[in-house]
Amino acid sequence: MAFEPKQPQKKLKYEELRIYTDEELRNYTEEELKNFKVKHSIPDVEELEKGPWPSFVADAKREALHRKKLADDRVMIPKDVVEDLLGQLQLSFDDGETHWKHGGIVGVFGYGGGVIGRYSDVPEKFPSIAHFHTLRVNQVASKFYKTDFLRALCDLWEYRGSGLFNMHGSTGDIILLGTTTEQLEPIFYEMTHELDQDLGGSGSNLRTPSCCVGKARCEFACIDTQDLCYELTMHYQDELHRPAFPYKFKFKFDGCPNGCVASIARADMSVIGTWRDDIRIDQEAVQAYINGEILPNGGAHRGRDWGKFDIQKEVIDLCPTRCMWMEDGKLKINNRECNRCMHCINVMPRALRPGEDTGASILFGAKAPILEGAQMSVLTIPFMKLEPPYDNLKELIDKVWDWWMEEGKNRERLGELIQRHGLWRFLEVIGVPAMPQMVKMPRANPYIYWKEEDVPGGWDRDINDYRARHKR
Amino acid sequence: MEDIKKAIIEYAESSKKSKFYFKDMEKAVQNKIPGAKSRDIKKAATELVNEGTLIYFSTGSTTMYGLKGRGITEDK
Repeated sequence: MAFEPKQPQKKLKYEELRIYTDEELRNYTEEELKNFKVKHSIPDVEELEKGPWPSFVADAKREALHRKKLADDRVMIPKDVVEDLLGQLQLSFDDGETHWKHGGIVGVFGYGGGVIGRYSDVPEKFPSIAHFHTLRVNQVASKFYKTDFLRALCDLWEYRGSGLFNMHGSTGDIILLGTTTEQLEPIFYEMTHELDQDLGGSGSNLRTPSCCVGKARCEFACIDTQDLCYELTMHYQDELHRPAFPYKFKFKFDGCPNGCVASIARADMSVIGTWRDDIRIDQEAVQAYINGEILPNGGAHRGRDWGKFDIQKEVIDLCPTRCMWMEDGKLKINNRECNRCMHCINVMPRALRPGEDTGASILFGAKAPILEGAQMSVLTIPFMKLEPPYDNLKELIDKVWDWWMEEGKNRERLGELIQRHGLWRFLEVIGVPAMPQMVKMPRANPYIYWKEEDVPGGWDRDINDYRARHKR
Repeated sequence: MEDIKKAIIEYAESSKKSKFYFKDMEKAVQNKIPGAKSRDIKKAATELVNEGTLIYFSTGSTTMYGLKGRGITEDK
């Protein structure tokens, strides 16, 4: 389906939006970089540059040198902000504890989220990062950007912030790392008015919805995740920007059960594309896989000789519900038993495809382990048709929110509320009958919640000693 | 709406803590104005924020409300 914007879209041109010249952007040589020393001694931080992997330290040093060589009036926050950041990181390594304080009254006018206050608790040592606030930028669905946009955003952030990014944070947003309070409103104005770009969610808000690559590039996508993500982001703008929830709430949209945005592990409401008819089988292609004419897994493992493809060993015996078999040279599937593990489809994508009657399964309650340990989402609605304008899904969301906002305690995630009241109560609220699959919990906790007595030596600490080194 | 705004300010001025959760504010308003709806309280709070009477206080993970001028209000 073609993209239908809900408001006129600007055509951004970097040449019109740029702040820096090409000379300013390429203002140092590799030789200069080699000889560059940041102003603090950072031996442990520099250790992270060693080894085969790319290092954020190497990137940060480039940025530090780049800023150092810009003219004083070409940046709006201190030029040595990156150097102080690396210096404080070294101090944290020395002390074995963080020197960041977080939270406060920073934000942009009218928004309760999108900006997260960060402050150094040793500002006298590292004055340039005394304020080092983070901004969350609402990524586009599936993170398809034009370079004009990215370059303009980089220039803006270089000029009004530290120049350091996370592409992307685990929420999905672009994270702009580090600026001062005075720069927040100008950044927000320029981002919204010139780049047509909104901030994302933080705090007790709906967090920035995120989705997999979906139908844009993936043949497995059973739902149009991008359209759904955009529709719900626009529909729930108030919930995204003006906090009134007991705590955070996350939607994530996976186009198929492969779960490329891991919604089942991370989202309070996970929407996972699925089908309710039969897996489509091309028997000729099955034979081609068996005969070695088509490489399994799209050729992903061709770097090593694994021997001849064995459909029995590599597909049929690995089916978790044992619902596949060969009969008269043909592959058969008992679709009623299929639990959407996706293994057979992933191994033989030319031969097997998801069915054509597609929609989504809706699961609720995943969360990280702050209270009660980590939880995966619980399958609540096995199948729901999802077509624009998704009124059926919105109706469900509104019911869930009404209950959670009424019954949830402060800082209680939906998954914890479901645990506290019981799944039966949640099902009653949303009007869905219970099924045996919901009651069973075949899930494992991937995190270990250590108690003090479990750890040799415990973790007693003297608060006065701590405060001597960390201002409140 | 004006009643709700008044009740919010009264709560913000009298609460023991200078920063409070939406839910606690909601309960206080509903004690004063039985039947006040959650969405209306949110709308009233948003208006108060836009007028500059209330402020948001965010840790990054949780958001609280506060009365401007009470408790920590400077950017520190």
